[in-house]
Amino acid sequence: MGKRIMVVDDSRMVALQMQNLLEGTDYEIAAYCRNGDEAIAQYGQVLPDVVTMDIIMPGLDGLETAQAILEEHGDAKIIMVSSLAYDDTFDEARAIGAKGFVDKPFEKEQLLEALEKILD
Amino acid sequence: MDTAIEQKKLEEMLDKAVREVTEKTAGVHLHLGSMPPAGELCTVHITFKKGFQSSLTLYADSSMLARMTRSVIRKERVSAQDLEDFSKEYFNILCGRVAALLYKATKVPARFGVPSFHQGRYKPEGQRAQFALNYADDYREGAQLIHYVPCHRADTTH
Repeated sequence: MGKRIMVVDDSRMVALQMQNLLEGTDYEIAAYCRNGDEAIAQYGQVLPDVVTMDIIMPGLDGLETAQAILEEHGDAKIIMVSSLAYDDTFDEARAIGAKGFVDKPFEKEQLLEALEKILD
Repeated sequence: MDTAIEQKKLEEMLDKAVREVTEKTAGVHLHLGSMPPAGELCTVHITFKKGFQSSLTLYADSSMLARMTRSVIRKERVSAQDLEDFSKEYFNILCGRVAALLYKATKVPARFGVPSFHQGRYKPEGQRAQFALNYADDYREGAQLIHYVPCHRADTTH
């Protein structure tokens, strides 16, 4: 059975791109949430193997959302997916318990590498 | 908080981000041009919320953005919603790259809001253009990136 991913991103372009890139792999998109509140509400029902989380979103940002999910589900595996790729953001993501970071724009290899690493 | 950075240095950073992100996102090669785009335009705009007091606006030929959208979503026909969604995500990535370059130069972490999209030319209120960079692609379509600062600022630095 494929590994189930929850994609959290306000841009449906990202969900579409991930779907294209993950076609034919062992990963499937189990849920797509367009904001932090939706993700927090759905996480417990979906219980995905891994969450990919945007940072800049309307309402709760991705770091706040990841923190809220991790407070409730300490074993959640979350990868931040953002173009804010610099030390300050990496540190903040690590501090709240995110397990990886994928820099936007991403390619298939980067995404698969991050997924394999977190699920290893 | 605001941190001064020479305008020339800022222009170089923005130029680097525009070229790299446009090439990597949609395979479009942009080069500096002398004229702003003159066709049917779309605007995407963001405001920095943390670290810097400025905003960035990109005016671009709708046909160029549509071509970029097609290449990303792998569909021949794109809807108005596809175009808007792609443009916002593209500019979000571009501004993230700008924030990363600014952090490298100043150690000031910058954050910005969600991009807004407008048909035609949109000018943010209460801000004045500090400088503009014009771009053209291989199809003679183009874009213009404008760095805006609050009107009350009289200096020429970011």
